[in-house]
Amino acid sequence: MKKVEVTLKNVCNVIREFYKLKEHQFLTLNGVAIDEKTIEIQWIFSHYAKVDKIVVFYVEVTEDELIPSIVDLIPSAIISQRELVDMFGVKVQDSESGLYLDEDSMKKPLSLGCAL
Amino acid sequence: MFTQFKKAFTNLFKKPQTHKYPLQEIEKPKDYRGLIEYSEEDCIYCLKCEKACPPGAILFVPTDNPSDNEKNKKDLKYEYNPWLCIYCGECVRACPKPDEALWQSEKKPQIATKEDRVNDGWFEMEALKKS
Amino acid sequence: MSKKTINIPLGSQHISLLEPIRFKFVCENEKILEVDSDVGFVHRGVERACTTKFKYDAIPYVVARICGLCAITHSLSYTMAIESLLGANVSKRANYLRVLMVELDRIHSHMLCLSHVCENTGYEAMFMKIMGDREPVMDLQELISGNRIQFDYVSIGGVNRDIDPEIARKIKQTLKELRPKIQDLITEFQNNWSLSLRFKGIGALSMQKAYEFNAIGPLARAAGIKTDVRSESSELPYNELGFELITKEGGDIYARNMVRLYEILNSISMCENIVDGMPEGAIITKLKGKPSGEVISRLEAPRGELMYYVKGHGKAMLDRVRIKTPTFSSIPAFMDIFIGQEYADAPAILASFDPCMSCTAK
Repeated sequence: MKKVEVTLKNVCNVIREFYKLKEHQFLTLNGVAIDEKTIEIQWIFSHYAKVDKIVVFYVEVTEDELIPSIVDLIPSAIISQRELVDMFGVKVQDSESGLYLDEDSMKKPLSLGCAL
Repeated sequence: MFTQFKKAFTNLFKKPQTHKYPLQEIEKPKDYRGLIEYSEEDCIYCLKCEKACPPGAILFVPTDNPSDNEKNKKDLKYEYNPWLCIYCGECVRACPKPDEALWQSEKKPQIATKEDRVNDGWFEMEALKKS
Repeated sequence: MSKKTINIPLGSQHISLLEPIRFKFVCENEKILEVDSDVGFVHRGVERACTTKFKYDAIPYVVARICGLCAITHSLSYTMAIESLLGANVSKRANYLRVLMVELDRIHSHMLCLSHVCENTGYEAMFMKIMGDREPVMDLQELISGNRIQFDYVSIGGVNRDIDPEIARKIKQTLKELRPKIQDLITEFQNNWSLSLRFKGIGALSMQKAYEFNAIGPLARAAGIKTDVRSESSELPYNELGFELITKEGGDIYARNMVRLYEILNSISMCENIVDGMPEGAIITKLKGKPSGEVISRLEAPRGELMYYVKGHGKAMLDRVRIKTPTFSSIPAFMDIFIGQEYADAPAILASFDPCMSCTAK
């Protein structure tokens, strides 16, 4: 697994240069809570027809920053982005909450600063 | 076309594929995963089975009339909930004396009734454990 | 003058659905123009439970209960992730037994999907016949592991039960009787005239669209993409067992059925090779230590690729368990396939995707 650090400003350009349609496969978006205010966001890619090659782009954000969306390049990322908004309470461009959680349920269950 | 008629004709004489359960018993396979059984005299009270159980179906709770076993230093008693158990056998694999103190039998668990107090009785045990 | 459109829902309770999912179709005269979906009906919070309530050695039993059909793939994928964090060396016999259970699981899951597709197009007799032929496979799984559906077979370091020569003889006999039945099914699906009217050309996903939507599993292989985690990952010994990657063209319901049928035949050959070439050795090795670090492990479930990300820092409670299930990544592709199809074909198209909503909304 190869990890590459990016910043919120250049993540879209880095992914646009890296991603080739018939060679790479977008797996998912992931969030890991580091402490109460910081969350590490990861974009995970793999290669078609190559053995054990996984590339991860990561950045550390706080809850207030806006994460850019990659849906215009990879249309299937919309559902991972909506799950991230629900589970961690972060803001992602063009992605609304409500995939898993209802209005009266506990908010941002996976972040360390959640109410429970 | 002819295969169709041939198949339909042979199907007239085949047995049905269904079991008439519960009128006809289903055979239990070998090594059926049944209830966990415990023998108090051989237990050494290491509490490894309690730590290994995934749903928490084995609890050692403090009691007022403990047994005579000299290893029971903290006056504990073994409690088992057959309706929370998933019959995975992790407790037997974790036990240092697997066939003497704790083993998995081939008996089926009984169906719970209201008198068994399945939920409230077990919540009382968990409260005793925490206190 | 604007055209009049009506909104028709498919669901969350519908006679053709196995699990709750709701689609809202905007239709004009039976042709579907737009799709909106809601998938979170059975959300149970498993990812949070794995980091707060259960310790790392109880989690194989917890994640197996996310889904009933792909239970063993969840617990095996998590176990492989923890074993690579602990630096373990699992014996070859345990790996062969694990692959045997995964392939038997694939056979029974594909047969369930095929029977469900037939039922949704009106062929209830075929549904009963395939379900009846699937029962001996469930009996085999009960003989090997003790349960029909939730196997509880994999634990960290190996497997829980072993097979003896009597069980091996039974496996070979059952699979030998199953193979001609699957070949009859292939003939039936290819030559039956009214099934071909309902399946050919319906619900097609072109190869270009499959690349754009990152389709996985039988959905992608039916569109012509050569992707399968069994050839992209080296953790399990698939290349010694005669694995073949099966692709078809067209991407419609007929192609997806054919991919599943030929995969069942390949799985039957692999299971027979496993039983013939089973190496000697122990079935479980004791492991010490607590997991620390981060790792990604992937496995081919019957519906596509399953990915687990596990992070720990040396304690009994883990930091993060991220589960990416195959149906979850295929939802955008599903929604795109519906556009332009007739509303009456929607249940058959949905059944041919083989969606597992318990996995999606974990």
